Amino acid sequence: MAQKVWQLPVGSPRKSQTDLTALLKPISLRESPMVTHTRRDMLKAGALAAIPLVLPSTMNAFPEQQPMTANGGDEPYPIPWLDKNGSHNQPAGPNLEPSHIYHFKGRVARCSTFTGMGTDNKGNRIAFGSPTTDYGVMLGEYWAARTTQRGTFTHI
Amino acid sequence: MPEGGLTISEDKNTLTLEMKDVAVVDQPKWPALDSIATPARMTFKMVWKSTGESVKYEDAAKHFRFTGTRATCQMEAEVAVPSIGFSWKSDPLETSKCAFAIIGEEVNGRYYDS
Repeated sequence: MAQKVWQLPVGSPRKSQTDLTALLKPISLRESPMVTHTRRDMLKAGALAAIPLVLPSTMNAFPEQQPMTANGGDEPYPIPWLDKNGSHNQPAGPNLEPSHIYHFKGRVARCSTFTGMGTDNKGNRIAFGSPTTDYGVMLGEYWAARTTQRGTFTHI
Repeated sequence: MPEGGLTISEDKNTLTLEMKDVAVVDQPKWPALDSIATPARMTFKMVWKSTGESVKYEDAAKHFRFTGTRATCQMEAEVAVPSIGFSWKSDPLETSKCAFAIIGEEVNGRYYDS
């Protein structure tokens, strides 16, 4: 059975909304140059449309995912201006900031410029230490992931 | 840092940092950009002891304040670079020294004004 659709003839003169319905004429669905869907096409489209309904059950097959926040990582922030060598630290020294962690409150121990001696596995005596032989410990509270965190960190 | 790696004396004047078989890199030409880094292992012990001399470092522009004391620090260590068959062991801790050391409390960043 031929279905009827309404089509506005191309090039029709502009009319008011009232007159527009008068210009519409019924045409056969098979005659329309724009609409060529058959019953088979509709069945195919119906099958594809069902895919989104199937996907959620497939995704539930994965292991349970824990709820996540989006507040950033809980690792400490580096000191913003200590990036001369891309490693966010500086040797310990008078009037230099001891911590390597920004937004930090806690105990700090720093040292630098060691001198000492040692022996390698071939019996050679080798000295150690230089101005860049510096170490540090930071123990306390820091701010990350928009909340307070606690930790102990060392720079060796 | 692994739990137990840091011990602080009751009077808070002595800190001992001790770690065993830590994965590090041997990078003799650091900080040169083309410095080759070779996997290595390190075991070490460091002891900070306060001298009692007070120090305060503060920079409002950089939002940090350190309040503490000068300290001595000594260390002993063993390192190994297996890929080149190298290992080295320092003399006992008491034979080493460092030119600068401090122990104290610091606030910086968002904690600076509080």
